[in-house]
Amino acid sequence: MNSNAWIISIGASLAAATPIVLAALGAILHERAGVLNLGVEGMMLIGAVAAFLAADAWGNVWLALLCGILAGGSLAIIHSLLAVTFRANQIVAGLALTIFGTGVAKYLGEPVNGVAISTSINEIKMPFVGNLPAVGRVLFQQDVLTYATWAAVILVSLYINRTRLGLALRAVGESPATADAQGISVARVRHVHVLLGGLFAGAGGAYQALARAPGWNQEATTNGIGWIALSLVVFATWRPGRALFGAFIFGFAIRSQFTFQAQGITIIPSLVLDILPYALTIIVLIVMSFGTARQRLGAPAALGMPFVRDER
Amino acid sequence: MNHQNEVRPGESPGAPVLRATGITKRFPGVLAVDNVDFELRAGEVHTLLGENGAGKSTLASVLCGAYQPEAGAVYRNGEAVILNSPHDGLTHGIAMVHQHFRLVERFTVSENIVLGDPSIGQFLNRNEVDAAVAAVGEQFGLPIDPTAYIYDLAVGQRQRVEIVKALYRNADVLLLDEPTAVLTPTETEALFVTVRAMTKAGKSVVFISHKLGEVAEISDRVTVMRAGRVTASVEKTQLDRHELAHLMVGRSTETDAQRYASNPPGEPALVASEVSLVTGGRTVLKNIDLAVNAGEVVGVVGVSGNGQRELADVLAGLAETTRGSVTIAGVPLSHVGAKRARKLGLAFIPEERVGTGLAPSLSITENLLLTRSRPTFISLRTTRQEARELIDEFEVKAPGPNAACRVLSGGNAQKVLVARELKGDGTPPAVVIAAAPTRGLDIGAIEQVRGLLHDARERGAGVLLISEDLDEVLSMADRIVVLYDGGITLEQSRPYEDRSAIGRAMAGIA
Amino acid sequence: MISVKLERRLERKRFLVVSVPAMSIFAALVAGAVFLEATGRPSGAVLSHMAEAAFGSMDGITNTLGTCTPLIFTGLAAAIAMRMGLYNIGGEGQLYAGAIASSGAALAWTQDASTPFAITVVFVAGAVGGMVWILIPALARAFLGTSEVITTLMMVFVADRLLDYLILGSDSYWRDPLSVGFPKGERIPEAAQFAKWFDGSLVTVALPVAVVMVLVVWAIGWRTSLGFEMKVIGDSPNAARYAGIAQRRTIVVALLMSGALAGMAGATEVGARAYQLDPGGLRLSLGFTGIVVAALARANPFGAALVAFFLGGLQSAGRSIQAASDVQVPKSLALTLQGTILLFVLGGEIFSRYRPRVAFNAATPHERLGAEA
Repeated sequence: MNSNAWIISIGASLAAATPIVLAALGAILHERAGVLNLGVEGMMLIGAVAAFLAADAWGNVWLALLCGILAGGSLAIIHSLLAVTFRANQIVAGLALTIFGTGVAKYLGEPVNGVAISTSINEIKMPFVGNLPAVGRVLFQQDVLTYATWAAVILVSLYINRTRLGLALRAVGESPATADAQGISVARVRHVHVLLGGLFAGAGGAYQALARAPGWNQEATTNGIGWIALSLVVFATWRPGRALFGAFIFGFAIRSQFTFQAQGITIIPSLVLDILPYALTIIVLIVMSFGTARQRLGAPAALGMPFVRDER
Repeated sequence: MNHQNEVRPGESPGAPVLRATGITKRFPGVLAVDNVDFELRAGEVHTLLGENGAGKSTLASVLCGAYQPEAGAVYRNGEAVILNSPHDGLTHGIAMVHQHFRLVERFTVSENIVLGDPSIGQFLNRNEVDAAVAAVGEQFGLPIDPTAYIYDLAVGQRQRVEIVKALYRNADVLLLDEPTAVLTPTETEALFVTVRAMTKAGKSVVFISHKLGEVAEISDRVTVMRAGRVTASVEKTQLDRHELAHLMVGRSTETDAQRYASNPPGEPALVASEVSLVTGGRTVLKNIDLAVNAGEVVGVVGVSGNGQRELADVLAGLAETTRGSVTIAGVPLSHVGAKRARKLGLAFIPEERVGTGLAPSLSITENLLLTRSRPTFISLRTTRQEARELIDEFEVKAPGPNAACRVLSGGNAQKVLVARELKGDGTPPAVVIAAAPTRGLDIGAIEQVRGLLHDARERGAGVLLISEDLDEVLSMADRIVVLYDGGITLEQSRPYEDRSAIGRAMAGIA
Repeated sequence: MISVKLERRLERKRFLVVSVPAMSIFAALVAGAVFLEATGRPSGAVLSHMAEAAFGSMDGITNTLGTCTPLIFTGLAAAIAMRMGLYNIGGEGQLYAGAIASSGAALAWTQDASTPFAITVVFVAGAVGGMVWILIPALARAFLGTSEVITTLMMVFVADRLLDYLILGSDSYWRDPLSVGFPKGERIPEAAQFAKWFDGSLVTVALPVAVVMVLVVWAIGWRTSLGFEMKVIGDSPNAARYAGIAQRRTIVVALLMSGALAGMAGATEVGARAYQLDPGGLRLSLGFTGIVVAALARANPFGAALVAFFLGGLQSAGRSIQAASDVQVPKSLALTLQGTILLFVLGGEIFSRYRPRVAFNAATPHERLGAEA
């Protein structure tokens, strides 16, 4: 078997994971605050198209990235307005956002369909470690945003688990009434984290447009990545580290079928690898429904529920 | 016991640390607290005593900042304070331990305790925090493991976490809302040790309860509440359990019209034999033997929290017994569920009206259909007409038959519920279980509800009347049993000559 | 001090139920017009062109009716789940599964069949496919309490990959063995291809079937004991327990009905439009739009039909403006407008549930007393 093909494949699946991990990190932040967000797909698409249009117009990839992030964030503001301030049904609001985001992205992307941009986020070979055999190729020849994403996983994890604000965030998502009684503003925590979620999703979309597919393809550029990110959040039981790990599994499942095919291995039908991420997520969800696992791993207890103080 | 010597310097002995005047709190359709004055001195345990719905918890919620009163003022150490949230209460050193704990299940003990504490800094140093939490626990004889997760803790331990949470934030006024309701006797003893340790350290405790034995044991002062008002306030030296029981449930000024069966009782309709129930590791019903015959009313009296709710659920087929059996008309109820029990002629008026007995968002019309046997295809037209007639007959204040039950006041909702259960769809019920059927109703509604219960008996139903209102039970029941701590401790038949024996049994005095 | 407080309305005022969404839709169209102008297109011309294309002519109306037919099915699917407070957001996947089942059944059993038989096979198979696709989420919800939101959603992507696999990834039963260059589905027998009514319009027998299902869903949901029990469970599980309603069974039955309806949308796509299993053509988000339909219709089946008609018009107008030479607007404008309308209606909802109270002096007597002291 050609081990080099596998090394390249693993390296590529790590890069393929980056936009998913970015969006999943955002989704973890806003879902930890108790706000369900089915709008991730829309936020990513908006981020992608904004980034692409900016790169096309100005040719600066970092400016483009910023545009993508802000676009995702602005959609998130609509979401938190609906879900937190207006106490709308979060399921429907999220879907509405995805529909809206998809519509706008496709509308704006139509004129540039098939256009390629000259600039993109490039891979950086780290000095010394980048030359290591196998490991160097897999871990230390990625682009800068992938490195930043790995760092973000650590930072977000520390933020959630090791800071006072993170404690407040978790309390708001688990038991808003308790948090409220301790003087924590539930609405403010939710607004802030939904916005953060949108900024991350926008970054993920922008990455997808700038690094993964440096040409705009109306149908394929970020199609479905937001949904994969959402399933990843569930699979990772709302924990950043596991999301990174899960994204590698997901990314590898998606990538490896090409490698399998290239290697002429046909024992595993491509369908099995294709549906693996979703099947795993369903299995995790079902396992989480049982007694102690539900207590330990289940969704934030107040996920999807608007908070109103004392409506007696 | 005299705590005055232990009071911290700088405060005059026994000075009020918390005072409230003229507190009034209204909820839609209910005057929960009506112009109440309250005072708490340093280092004392001041008990609020009263039956369910008397306004104790509402008053305590006002004192801790959870509710804002319509009128009245709260003074902390002599100064007027505005408490717009529990957090405001906490900043003034007032903390409440609610009946339903305010804990994040998936947090560790210390995470729960330091939540919202600005003094811990931006980063959470777990070791430091754990040590601080353990230290506070030790100081008051409350050993807790700071690293344990709440979901792994038993109820008594969770309560301990709530108390440590208050102490950690330097609260020196603690309001404990029915803390013993969920505790085993041993846990209750441990709690009392803690309460004494706290008062010794100069803290003051408001203790809410309706268990007279405990009240006598722990209180320095007792304030009795009924129907949102204070009916008495007594010092420890004057405590008399029997008198307290009377103040709590008695209505000596009103005489209830007596209604008893006009015919001798018939065959057993509802029979419980050797019924025990264990839930969450606590034995809530102990070996209950009870038979209700056709054409009689059997009253279950007792201070609430002694197993009434569980008894009603078991008899209505909503909960499985741990041991023993329940039969309706000779047919055992085990594994058949509520629907089957209804087919056997059961009518059940549960304690919680809107939310259990009535579906809140459904209309009055739809709620009439809730417990009937329904054909596959239903038409609301005839039921709507029925709802209209019901609204007229019982003077239900409702916009119309399509009004959601959620918008009805307590009394009007109860009229709908009782009328549905007792009038049925033509066939009169064979067994009626009525839990607290008149609680919180006005006089007119009370009379209507009792009239309906009486009619059901006259038409041959066996009626089980579960009520905290002793006078109500004595005025209607042909036989009574006293439920104390999950078991039947006394049984009496009409005429009830020894009321004091009933009162003693309710208070748990052998 | 001025403050705005939201006060819960005890009763839903009847006029608000109509006027608030109407105002919201108007506001959404204004926002859409602003968006058009901002992107350099004449909003007046575009919007009037769309209205004309969707509802202005016989052709337009038949197009709209044909386009809205699957939306009626998916809208009903979401609505019947919402009746009991559940969210089947996997209608899209059940639609795919329905399409797979109905095309497979048509290939297998309708070769020399009569038209009525073939049509029945297509719809029944579609319904069964949809039911199979929701079975695991339904059982998990009923017996384990697993939230149906994510499980049904995940099943969408499983169906999505399965679609590709059947046509593009394998020599399956569904694939046309003669399609060498770009693989496509095998054409279903003629008997199973729904006739196009009104001179080759998009309207087929699926439309009356959809209308019948509106009545069936209304009858089951609003006029049977089962529908009543669904409503009780959705409102208050405690009351359902008290009334002895079999909650698990009801949850499973309701979700299976929901899946069946979404599957029938897939059958419609096969029998009325594609005549084959057509992965690319199926991916129109009809299932997701069904949730929008149900949400806008507040889960009422007649409302769902009406909303589906308007959204169908919007979509068919979207195709038209893309093709029209004078305006040339991307058809995704329709999707954008649809999202905008939904966002505005959702935001507006609060005004029918809460009453905004503007207070010029927010202090309560209690606070005033405190302030004086």
